[in-house]
Amino acid sequence: MIWKIAAKEFLLNLMTFKFVVGTVLCVVLVVIFVPVLAEDYRQRLQQYDERVADIEAKLRQVKAYRVLTPTVYRRPQVLSVFSQGMEKRLGDSARIDFGVIPQIDARPAEVNPYLSIFPAFDVLLIFKIVMSALALLVAYDVVSREKEQGTLSLMLAHPIPRGHVLLGKLAAGSLTLAVPATIAFIAGLLLLSSSRSVVLTGADWVRILMMYIASLLFVLSMYNIGLLFSCLTRSSALALVLGLFFWVLAVAVVPDGSAYLARRLQPAETVEGRDEQIAALEKQFDKDLTAGFEALPGGGWEHDAGGPFDPYGPIGGAFSYYPMLCTPAGFTHWIQRGQMEAGLRMKYADKFRDAGRQYSDSQIRQATVARRIGMISPTCLYDGAMTALAGTDLADFESWAQAAATFRETVIAYIRNKTDNLSSVSCYTQSTEEERIAFEKASEEERRTLAKTVERHTVPLNLEDLPRFAYPTDAGRSLRRAGTDLMLLVVFNVLFFGLSFAAFQKYDVR
Amino acid sequence: MFWQIVRKEILESLLSVRFTLAIVFSIVLFAASTFFSVDRYRAQSQEYWRRVNENLTGFRRQSDQLCKLAFYEQNAYRQPKVLALCAGGSEDLLPGHFTFDGFDISLPQIAGQSNFTLPRFSDLDWAFIISLVLSFTAFVFAYDCICGEKETGTLRLILSGATPRVTLLLAKYVGLMLTLAIPLFMGLAVALIILIASGAETAGLVPWARVVGIVLTSFLYLSIFVFLGMFVSARAARPANSMAALLLAWVVLLIVIPSLGRLVSDKFSHAHTPEEFQRAKSEAQKQIDDRFISGAYGPNAGATGSNRDDPSVNPRGRAQGTIEGTEALNRVVDAHHERMLAQAEAGRRFTCISPAVVYRRVCEIIACTGIDRSRSLYRQIKTYQQNLRDFIISEDRSDPDSLHILFDDAPRVAEWTTISHKPPSFEAVPKFLERDLALGESLGLAVWDLGLLALFNLVFFAGAWISFARYDVR
Repeated sequence: MIWKIAAKEFLLNLMTFKFVVGTVLCVVLVVIFVPVLAEDYRQRLQQYDERVADIEAKLRQVKAYRVLTPTVYRRPQVLSVFSQGMEKRLGDSARIDFGVIPQIDARPAEVNPYLSIFPAFDVLLIFKIVMSALALLVAYDVVSREKEQGTLSLMLAHPIPRGHVLLGKLAAGSLTLAVPATIAFIAGLLLLSSSRSVVLTGADWVRILMMYIASLLFVLSMYNIGLLFSCLTRSSALALVLGLFFWVLAVAVVPDGSAYLARRLQPAETVEGRDEQIAALEKQFDKDLTAGFEALPGGGWEHDAGGPFDPYGPIGGAFSYYPMLCTPAGFTHWIQRGQMEAGLRMKYADKFRDAGRQYSDSQIRQATVARRIGMISPTCLYDGAMTALAGTDLADFESWAQAAATFRETVIAYIRNKTDNLSSVSCYTQSTEEERIAFEKASEEERRTLAKTVERHTVPLNLEDLPRFAYPTDAGRSLRRAGTDLMLLVVFNVLFFGLSFAAFQKYDVR
Repeated sequence: MFWQIVRKEILESLLSVRFTLAIVFSIVLFAASTFFSVDRYRAQSQEYWRRVNENLTGFRRQSDQLCKLAFYEQNAYRQPKVLALCAGGSEDLLPGHFTFDGFDISLPQIAGQSNFTLPRFSDLDWAFIISLVLSFTAFVFAYDCICGEKETGTLRLILSGATPRVTLLLAKYVGLMLTLAIPLFMGLAVALIILIASGAETAGLVPWARVVGIVLTSFLYLSIFVFLGMFVSARAARPANSMAALLLAWVVLLIVIPSLGRLVSDKFSHAHTPEEFQRAKSEAQKQIDDRFISGAYGPNAGATGSNRDDPSVNPRGRAQGTIEGTEALNRVVDAHHERMLAQAEAGRRFTCISPAVVYRRVCEIIACTGIDRSRSLYRQIKTYQQNLRDFIISEDRSDPDSLHILFDDAPRVAEWTTISHKPPSFEAVPKFLERDLALGESLGLAVWDLGLLALFNLVFFAGAWISFARYDVR
C-alpha cells in the first residue's frame, strides 16, 4: 500500500505547475551557468599553470642554493564549480624560504579587493535556494490538501496505518525531488566534463556521488520540514506561509545571521594589530641581523664590496642576492654570514608564524563559531558538506598550508644536504678558488674581466632532484570532513519525519 | 467604496497568521540588527579615533620643519558610520585603509576585523531585512489577493457591483501597502528606540533626514513587490500556483541575479593583475629615467650632490623630472584604482535588473556607505594632497632662503632647501578627515536609481492592471 500511495502522489506531483516551474528553473540555471563556471575554472587553472611554469622557469635559472626560494601554489579545485567555498577568498600561494613558514593566508586572493562585495555563484547556490523552495512547495500541502479535499478521511477509512500513509508520501516526495536533482546533476556533469580543461579523476567521481547524496539529503530535510508544517496545520495556506517563513530563515537569515553573530560573540584580531606586531618583529630582526654581522670575524659588510652580485637572483625576495665572485676572505665571510643569517631567519620564521597565527587563529575561531551557530539550519549543514566534498572548505586550505610548511622543511633539508649545511661553495658562488685568489690580487680592470669570465661559466644548478610540491586531492579526507554535516542532515531528516509522524498520529482528519 | 475595500483588506490581513509572523520577524530582526550595529559602531569608533590621533601625533612631530610636511606617511581609515545600521554596504569586506603622503597614495588596503575565512555574508542591516524579509512578506500578503478572492467567489461578488476594476486594484494595493507598513514601522520604531536609548551619535537633522530618505525608498521598493504579487495573482488561476511563481521570482530577483555580479565582472571587465600594474609603473618610471639620461631636464638633473649651489647639480631640472615622474606614477595608480572600481561597477550595473540591488545601492548612497564611499575617500585624499602641497607652497613664499620648489624627493628638498626649514603653525596645516557627501549630493547620486525603482513600480503596476482588466473572474 505504501508504494501505491507513493505512486499516486508521485504522479500527482509530476503534473503540478510548481514542480514544472521549479524543475525547469533549476535545470535551466544549471545548464546556463555550469559552462560559465567551467570557463571560470579554466581561467583559474590556466593562471595556476602559468604561475607554476613561471616558477619552474625561474628555478631553471637558479645559480646558487642561497637563492633557492620557490613559491608554491594551490591548484584550483575542479569541483569548485559545484561549491566555490573559500576559493578566491583566501590566499593561494606560499613562498618557500628560510624566513617564512607557510600558513593559512586570511587575506583575499582577489586581484581586485572591491570584488569581495559579490557573493559566490555556484551550483550549490542553485540547489540550496531553488531546490529547497521546490521541496517546501511539494511538501506543504501533502496532508492538509488531502484533508481539505476530504480524500484523507476516505483513505484512512481503509485499514491503512497512518505511518504507511506518511511513509508513502515521504517516498513520493523523495522520488519527486530526486527527478530535478538528478536531471540537474547529470546536465551539470555532462556540461562540465565536456569542457576541455576539466579532467575528473576517480576520486572526483566519488566526491560527486557524495555531493549528489548530500543534495538529496538536503532537499529531503526541507521536504520533511514542509511535511511537518502540513501535519501541524489544518489549512494548506497556513502550512505554506509557515513553511515559507521557515525557508527564509533557513536559507537567508540564519546563514547571514550566524556569521554576523559570530563577529559579535567572538571578535577577531585586527589587521592593523597583526601588521604592527610583524613590523615590530621586522625591526627586531633587522637589529639582530646587523648585530650578527657586526659579531662576525672581520665584522660588518666590508667583504661584500668588490665582487659582482646578482642583486635579485631569478626569483627575488629577501634572501635573493648572492655573490658571483669575491675574495677568499670574502668567501669565508659569506659562509659565516649565510649560516648566521639562515639561523636567524629560521628563528624569526617561528616568531612571524606565531604573530600571523594569532591573527589567523582568531579568524578561524570566529568562522568556527559561525559554523556552529549555522548548524541549526539544514542549509548551513548542506553548505558545509558540499564545500568539504569539493575541497574548497577552510580545513582544506589549512591542510594545504600545512603541506606547504612540510614542503618548506623538505626544501631546507635539501639545501642543507646539498651545501653541507650551508658551508659549501655551491651555496653562494660557482667561482673557483683560483679565480677568487686571482680576484684578490687583480687590478680594477682585471677584476672586471675576471667577473665576466665567472659570469660566463656560472651555469644554472641541476635541480632535477629537488622535490616538487604536490597536494593531491584526497576523497577520503573530504569525506571525513563532510561526515559530521552529512550525519547531522540525516539526523534532521529523522527528527523532522519523526515529528511529522507524531503530529500525523494525532491529526484530526475531519 | 475604495476605502471600504482598503479597510477590509487591512482587517483581513490583521487577523491572519502571516501578519503575526511578519510582525514577529520584523521586530526581532530590526531589534537584533540595531543592537549589534550600535555595539559595533561604538567599538569601531573608539579604534578609529585612536588611529586618527596616532596619525595626528606623528604628523605633528613631523611638522617641526615645513620641508618635512609633505613627506609624512599618513594613514586614512574609513570612518565608522552610525547609519551603517541602515545600510552597511558590505564595508567589512571592502578595503578601507589608505596610506599617503603629499605626493603618493597607496592602493586600498584591508583594514580592521575583516574576516575572509567566514562564509560570505550580507550585513544584517535594515536594507537586508527590508530587501529580503519584507519583500518576501509583501509576496506572502499579495499572492492570493486576486486569485484567492476568485477561488472563494468574493471577487465575482464585488465586481458584480458598480466598482470599477481599477478602483478595486488600487484599493487592494493601498490596503496591502498599509498592512505591510505596520510590521515595517513597528520594526523601525523598536530600532529607533534602541538607537536613541544607546546614546549613539545622531546629532543634527541630517542623519535623521537620511533615515527618512531610506524609509521612503523602502516604501518605493516594497511597492514593487506588492505590484508584482498582484500581477502574478491576476495571472494565476489558483493561489498555490501564484505562490509558486512568486517564490521562484523572488529567488531569481533576490538571490540569483545579485549573485551573478562577480561572474559578469570577471567576464566583461578586466583589472590589471599585480604583475601588470608593477610593469606599468616600471615603464612609467623608465620613461622618466630615460628623459633624465637624455638630458630632457637640463644638464646634471640626475645628480644628487648635497650643495645646491654646486654647478654639478641642477635642482630645478631634478625637481621638474621628479614632478613629472610622480605625476606619471600617480596616473598609473589612479588608472589602476579606477579600473578596479570599474570592474566592480560592471557587475553591479548588470545586477541592477534586480530591484533589490538598486534598492541596496540607493540605501548605501543615502547612508554614505559602500563602494561609492571608497571612491569618494580616494578622491578626498587626492584633493587633500593638493591642499597640503598648496599650503606648503604658500607658507614657503615668505622664506627668502628657499628655492620654492616642492617635489617628491625628501632628502634633496631638505638638503637643497627647495622648501623652507622653518616650522609652520601646526594648527594651520590642513589635516585629513573624511567628509560625508551632503544630503543633496547623495540624493543627486541616487536619483537615477530612484527613477529605476519608480520605473519598476510603473511596469508591474501596468502588468497588474492589464492582467486584472482581462481577468476571468468566473
